[in-house]
Amino acid sequence: MTTTSAPSPSSAADAAIGGLASDLARASLALARRFYAGGTLWCASPAWPFHSHHVAVEFVHPVIMGKRALPAVTVPPDEDLLATLRTTSRTGDMIVAVAPADDPAVVAVMRRGDAWGVETVWIGAGPRPPAGAAKHVLWLETEDPLEASEQFVRVYHLLWELAHVCFEHRGLLKPDVCLDDVCVTCSDEGRPAEVLAVVGDEAVVRTAEGRESVDTSVIDPPSPGDLLLVHAGTAIRNLDDVA
Amino acid sequence: MSSAEPAGFLYPFIDNEETDAASLLADLARSAAGKWRQSTDLRNATLAVLDGPIRAAGAAMAERVAAGGQVFTMGNGGSATDAEAFARLCTRPPRGIPVPARSLVVDQAVLTALSNDVSFEVVFSRQLMAFAREDDVVVGFSTSGNSDNLMMAFAEARKRRLLTVGLAGYDGGRMGASDDVAHCLTVRSDSVHRIQESQSAVAHALWEALQTELRQKGAAA
Repeated sequence: MTTTSAPSPSSAADAAIGGLASDLARASLALARRFYAGGTLWCASPAWPFHSHHVAVEFVHPVIMGKRALPAVTVPPDEDLLATLRTTSRTGDMIVAVAPADDPAVVAVMRRGDAWGVETVWIGAGPRPPAGAAKHVLWLETEDPLEASEQFVRVYHLLWELAHVCFEHRGLLKPDVCLDDVCVTCSDEGRPAEVLAVVGDEAVVRTAEGRESVDTSVIDPPSPGDLLLVHAGTAIRNLDDVA
Repeated sequence: MSSAEPAGFLYPFIDNEETDAASLLADLARSAAGKWRQSTDLRNATLAVLDGPIRAAGAAMAERVAAGGQVFTMGNGGSATDAEAFARLCTRPPRGIPVPARSLVVDQAVLTALSNDVSFEVVFSRQLMAFAREDDVVVGFSTSGNSDNLMMAFAEARKRRLLTVGLAGYDGGRMGASDDVAHCLTVRSDSVHRIQESQSAVAHALWEALQTELRQKGAAA
């Protein structure tokens, strides 16, 4: 495909598969940018481990000869997904999950994407996860589990195919080109952080920029694993406080 | 390349470097929708053409299962995951009758032992030698239809009187032409991805056919 043809409104493309076409396009470009910068793709599907294995093998050993092998890893289904990814994922990585909206391990991992500096892609069907549950939500309408499973394969095949198209557009892969509407890094708002340890009125947290110490004196004492909003070295809100 | 020019960094928009993603994103979305439509068309055409063969394979599998046989599945790469998916569908169905099944791809110790000590070609056939009984079924997934380890396993299975079912792509390859594969269900395409997507639908239709036959046998019993 080329980019020299006049861009057409994506609404035309969306007619066949709803908003999924545009969602796939954005997710593919985001993955390509992360791969280009050296990120690793973590694949998870606790309920259907064959899907996560399939996603990983697509990227590691492409079906088209000559396409580059990319780092993609399946998190084994018998592992604690949250604990494994908290330890092994690094800023700049990606997580693709194939899972229903109510999979508790996937919910827990996806909501930490911004705090970990990890791009999150959630593929599923049936009832949708709430808005913002992951950076990219690639959701299918069907309620039939077999039809959904067939369409998941299409979705991750297309993610791979479109990401490789993006590799031909180097100008859009450079890290200094910011494609987000609102860039959290550049703006003056609270950044999400996950608590690793608590020492008195301070907490060691993980953010997209790495580990840092933050003052927790203006919030109730947090626990390891809590998600905080931090601003100017201070935790201003505990996102896990249900009160 | 701009990096070769000393002053290139001063002019980031030179050298046709894109900085506006909108055009690419529109192209990608259009491409995704087109490929989705192709995949749907191939799926529907394949299920129509293979309707009779899928029913026949499902009926033959039901005979074996009703007689106490189990289903072994096998494949390489993405097809290995299809094999695992089919075995799980049999044992843990979303509805219907659970059927004993096992993927021959999941045991790392067995796979690496056979590959290291003998060769990768025997990883499935040697497992059949150990496990298979006459009433059993082996279902193999390959997009090319040519995988050596599948062909060896099909030959071994035939020798041991197992029922053999193959899911292939392209023109069926060696699986399509071999007497060792009693039922070869071929997705006629030359795109590995589109073949796999339709094979997933064929596998589900095969499972439905097996379930239909098992229900009828249960009703008759």
